[in-house]
Amino acid sequence: MIEVKDLTFSYGKDKQALHGLDFTVEDGEIFGFLGPNGSGKSTTQKILTGILKGHGGKASLFGQDISAAHTQKFFQKIGVLFEFPYLYANLSAVDNLKYFSSFYPKEQIRSIEEVLNELEFKQDFLKKPVSSYSKGMRQRISMARALISNPKLLFLDEPTSGLDPSGAVLFRKIIEKERKKGTTVFLTTHNMLDADLLCDRVAFIADGEIKALDTPKHLKERNSNRRIVIDYLYQGRREEKTIEAPELEIGIPFAHDEIISIHSQEPTLEDMFIKYTGRGLS
Amino acid sequence: MWKNLCSLFKKDCRMMVSGKFFLMSSGFLVLYTLYVNFGYIKFMDAQLYNVYLYDPAKTQTTVSTLVQRVSSKEALDTILLDDTNGVGIDASAGEPQLVFYEGTEQTDCHRIDYALSLLQPPGNCNAEVIGSNTPEQKARKEITCELLFFEIAAAGFLGIAAVLFKEKGMGVIRVHAILPLRKNLFILSKLAIFLLSDLVFAILLTVLNVGLLDTASILPEVLIQTALLSLIMSLAGLICALLLKDFRQFTSAYLLIAIFVATPVFLSANTAVKLDWIYFHPFYHIYMGLKNAYFGTPMNSPAYYLGCLTAIAVLFAGVQHVFCKEMRKEG
Repeated sequence: MIEVKDLTFSYGKDKQALHGLDFTVEDGEIFGFLGPNGSGKSTTQKILTGILKGHGGKASLFGQDISAAHTQKFFQKIGVLFEFPYLYANLSAVDNLKYFSSFYPKEQIRSIEEVLNELEFKQDFLKKPVSSYSKGMRQRISMARALISNPKLLFLDEPTSGLDPSGAVLFRKIIEKERKKGTTVFLTTHNMLDADLLCDRVAFIADGEIKALDTPKHLKERNSNRRIVIDYLYQGRREEKTIEAPELEIGIPFAHDEIISIHSQEPTLEDMFIKYTGRGLS
Repeated sequence: MWKNLCSLFKKDCRMMVSGKFFLMSSGFLVLYTLYVNFGYIKFMDAQLYNVYLYDPAKTQTTVSTLVQRVSSKEALDTILLDDTNGVGIDASAGEPQLVFYEGTEQTDCHRIDYALSLLQPPGNCNAEVIGSNTPEQKARKEITCELLFFEIAAAGFLGIAAVLFKEKGMGVIRVHAILPLRKNLFILSKLAIFLLSDLVFAILLTVLNVGLLDTASILPEVLIQTALLSLIMSLAGLICALLLKDFRQFTSAYLLIAIFVATPVFLSANTAVKLDWIYFHPFYHIYMGLKNAYFGTPMNSPAYYLGCLTAIAVLFAGVQHVFCKEMRKEG
């Protein structure tokens, strides 16, 4: 779906934002693009969506070089959720969606009611102007705008930002559902939980370079110390012991009366990000 | 393409309605019409100076009806004390003697000539009358032309900014970057709506203030000139609104434009002030184009129209450039 080779971009003479990115995104894959502010995430997404011109290297979408790909047909096939909910504040949710969907072929558009139901949007706000919505409601309408055209490729920038926990769970479910439909998702985020739960593969980007690219599971396993911490009760006393994972193959290798908890010492995706990029995501 | 343009146009209409643009234009239309019909025309019809005559022996035989007679020399002094612009004529000694409070030298000469002319028999002056407009028609056309120019160059220009700053603030311009539409349509739709609204305004203002009969003969040329001015100002407004950070910056920039663009043009076209460089001022030619259209004497050369079209093309390219820059911006 997306193929990027030695992608470079510079905002000026001394402001090189991308230093030769290489990655591919397969059809139907959820690909996470993780990086701190100013790392080059947005620049990459803007190049891929045709907003920024003048890149170096090669990038192709839908099997076509991007310099030739950015036609009206191309824009009919993509959906973009921006980092901020860009909507007409004086129009209602329905009017916003009617307006934005009017640029797509009729046979491609999903029903507004169906999309808003899927996003569990409050019915009594349907006809009220967006200016009266909470941040979470605006994010739902923005997501609806990205989904309404049934895109084959979705660019999502911080999709769960501004949502409460139940909203975030709902969004993750919707993204999963899109993947099941065969939609490819390019997910740009700071949220490690989203990346861990949703992405088939993630790329860590910092200073315009990809520092690591693999599945979240492999990234964590590769860097795991394979230790397990066991919390247990023995002769009325609560104790904790750390053992090597292979030791478990023969069962719990020490005397105990009751096991309270077992925790693997596998690193989190955030630990991996810090390890590869040398800094946190904030 | 037409479907997309239609969607954009409908949305722009709603934006303008919610921004109270049409309400504001209607308000200006009413205000201008009231001013022309109940203020300007009456003011233009008023006498320049009141003339008072003290002539106890009735030595002056051909006195105009515009002259007010007084009964005594004291009464003449008292009335001039109240009306310091007035001119008194004391004919008590047979020969008219002028009495007035001194003003500037040029004005005083004018006051003397005017006062003495009112003692001459009517028809004494045989000046050739040029054109078919009555003084009232002439005044109506002149002021309507000025108000239309002002409305499009000032109020319309600010209206564009008000609408575009809203869209800019909401960030929705960026969404259009990823929509399947030709990006130029976004600009074209805005131009179309402002052009239409300016043309409708021009028709109504002209009909209400110049009269239906006169309007019919001058309207096509007036609309052409209005369209040229409207397109130039809309494009200039779009560039400023896209380039400048907020409405406050825009209004400051606008004040500068108004001072340096409108003031010399109005001064040169409507007063005796002569500015040698005014022929190099593009808006002077546009204003004169509109004025000539109102007086039914279109004298614009092909070079004028070519200049206008070139300006529109250059401004359009400028808007495209800043529009693309705006779409690339971060939130």
